[in-house]
Amino acid sequence: METEVLVRKAKQGDKEALVQLIMAQKQDYYKLAYVYMKNPEDAMDVMEDMIVLLYENIGRLKNESSFYSWSKTILVNCCKNSLKKRSRVVLLDTLREEAGDDPVGRKDEELLLEKHLERLNIKHQEAIRLRYFMDMDYQSIAELLKVPVGTVKSRISIGLSKLKAVLGGEEQ
Amino acid sequence: MSRLEEILSKKKLEIDELQVPEELDARLNKALENKTKGRKSKSGFRMKVAVLLIAFVLVTYNIDTLAFYGKELLGFENIMNGTLRDLNKMGMGQTIDKSFEFSNGVKVTLNGVMADDNQLIAFYTIHNPNGSVDDIHFLSNHMKGAIGLHDPEGGSGELNDDKSTIRWVEEYEPPYAFEKKLIWRFSLLSGSKSEEGEISFVLDRDKAMGHTLKARINKAIEVDGSNVKFDTITASPTTTVVKGTIKNIVELAADQIGGERLYSPNIGIRLLADGKEIAVQGTGVSTDMNGMKFDLRYDALPKDTEKLQLNLTSFAAEHQTDQLVELAGTEAGKHIQIQGQDITIERVDEIKGETFVTITTRDTVVLSKVYLLADNNKVELEETIDNKFEKKIDGTITHTRTLRFKTAAKELKLDIRRIRYEKAYDEYIDIPIE
Repeated sequence: METEVLVRKAKQGDKEALVQLIMAQKQDYYKLAYVYMKNPEDAMDVMEDMIVLLYENIGRLKNESSFYSWSKTILVNCCKNSLKKRSRVVLLDTLREEAGDDPVGRKDEELLLEKHLERLNIKHQEAIRLRYFMDMDYQSIAELLKVPVGTVKSRISIGLSKLKAVLGGEEQ
Repeated sequence: MSRLEEILSKKKLEIDELQVPEELDARLNKALENKTKGRKSKSGFRMKVAVLLIAFVLVTYNIDTLAFYGKELLGFENIMNGTLRDLNKMGMGQTIDKSFEFSNGVKVTLNGVMADDNQLIAFYTIHNPNGSVDDIHFLSNHMKGAIGLHDPEGGSGELNDDKSTIRWVEEYEPPYAFEKKLIWRFSLLSGSKSEEGEISFVLDRDKAMGHTLKARINKAIEVDGSNVKFDTITASPTTTVVKGTIKNIVELAADQIGGERLYSPNIGIRLLADGKEIAVQGTGVSTDMNGMKFDLRYDALPKDTEKLQLNLTSFAAEHQTDQLVELAGTEAGKHIQIQGQDITIERVDEIKGETFVTITTRDTVVLSKVYLLADNNKVELEETIDNKFEKKIDGTITHTRTLRFKTAAKELKLDIRRIRYEKAYDEYIDIPIE
C-alpha cells in the first residue's frame, strides 16, 4: 500500500517519493548494478541514469504495484547500455590503471573468473551473475530480463560449460 | 560442489557483503535536481504551490452561486486562456455537475468538460468544509475509458478568499473516438492513507469539437548530429499539437540505443500562421528505449489560416564527451574546444587544500557532468561559484565561473563527461494545408 501511494506521488512529479522508493530497496538495486558494473562508482552512475529514466517515464507505468520489477528491468538496461558504450571507448591505458589498482591480496582464481566471465557473450554472463552472485531463481531472472524461463536455463548452462572449459577443465 | 561453483559462491559472498555507499541518496537526488517533466509535472504538490502563487487574484464568485448560465461555465475565467474563454462563451463545453464526497466531508465536483481531438479538459471544484484546501492532498489520477487510461497533462487552479474552495482547469490526454463513458478517478491522501473516489459521466460526442486540421508532416531537419523529425500536426479548437521524434545519427546508423547518447534536448521551435507566431503552451519530451518523442503545444490556429510553417530557432542538448583536460601549466590560461564549443581555462588555484578551476564559455554552454582527477582519484564537483556574465560587442554572452573541488594534488585533470550546449538555427518547414 505504502509503495503504491509513493508511486502515485512519483507519477505526479514528486522527486522525493521516487528517491524514497529506490532507497527502500537500495541494497537490491545497488547489488544488481554492482554485479553488472563491478565497481561502486559505475554502479552509482548507472543508478543515476536509471532514476532519470524512471522519472521521465513513470507516467507510462500503468500498474503501480509492479514498480519494483519495472524499475529493476530498467536498471539492467542502463547497465547494459553503459557497458556497451564502455566496451567501445575503453582506452588501453585506463585498462592498465585499473589493473594496477587491484588489491594485491585478491585471489588469482577470482581474477581469472572475472576475466573469463567478461569474455562470455553478455547474455550468458548476465545470467550467471544473476543466478550465482545475486542468488536469484530462474523465474525471477526471466522476469527481470523479460525472456522465457527456458531461455534463462539454457543461457546459464551454456555459460557454465564455457566457463568450465577454461577454468575447471580438468574436471570434465 | 565443483571447483567452478566454489569460485562462483566465493564471489557471491563478496557481493553479499557489499555496503551501499552513503552518498547514494544524495547522488540520486542530485541526478533529479535539474529534471523537469515539462507539462506533466504540473500537478500534485507543486501544482498546489503554483496555485498559491496565483491565488492573489480574488475570486468574486461565491461557490454556492456557481452555476451555468446557458451553457457557459462561470467561475473559471481567470484560469482559462483566451482561446478557452472564447470557446466557453460560445457554450462549447458540456455540463456535468456531479459530485463525490470523501468520508471526511471533502467534496469534489466535476462541473463540466470540453473535448476535442487533442485533449479533454475537466473543470472541477474541490471544497473542504473543515478548513483550507491547502491542508488536503488531492491527486487527480486519470480518466478511464472503455480501453484506455488517460493521464492528466497539466492545468491550473485558483483558490477562493477563505481558501475553502479551489477551482481547477485540467487537461487530459484525449479519449479514443469510440469511448463515450468515462470514469474520472482521483484520490485524497492523508499521511500514508489514501481514499479513492470517482465520478463517471458520458461524453456527449455531439459537443466534442474534433479538429480543424490534421496532417502528416513527415519532414526532418538534421541538427547537431541529431535528426529532428516532425511527424504530425493536429489543430483543434482548443490547441495545436505538433508531434515528432528525435534520433541521434549514431543511433540511427547503429539502430540501437547506447553509443553517443543524447540527454534531455531543448528545442526552440516557433509555429507561424501566415507569418505570425502562435503562442507556445508547452513542450513535453519523453525518452524510452526506442528514442525520444516530443510534443509541442501551441494555442489554437486563427480562423482561415492559409500558410503554416515551423521555424527551428535553437537546439540545446547534453552530449556525452568523456574528455580529459590536463590542468598542469594552465597558469597563463588554456584554450580548448570540445565538440566545437570554446572553453577557456582561466586559472587553477589551490587554496587551503581545495582546488578552484575558473573557466569561461558561451552562456549556453554547461559542463553538465564534470569531475576532477586528482592524482587519478575522481573527485566530484562541490559547487560552482562566482558566476559572471559579460556581453561582447558581437552580441554573444560569455559566462565565467569557478568550479570548486574539495581536494588538492599535484597532477590535476578535468574529467568532462557531459557537456550541454545550444546552437542557433533558422530553418523552416512548410506544412501543407488542404
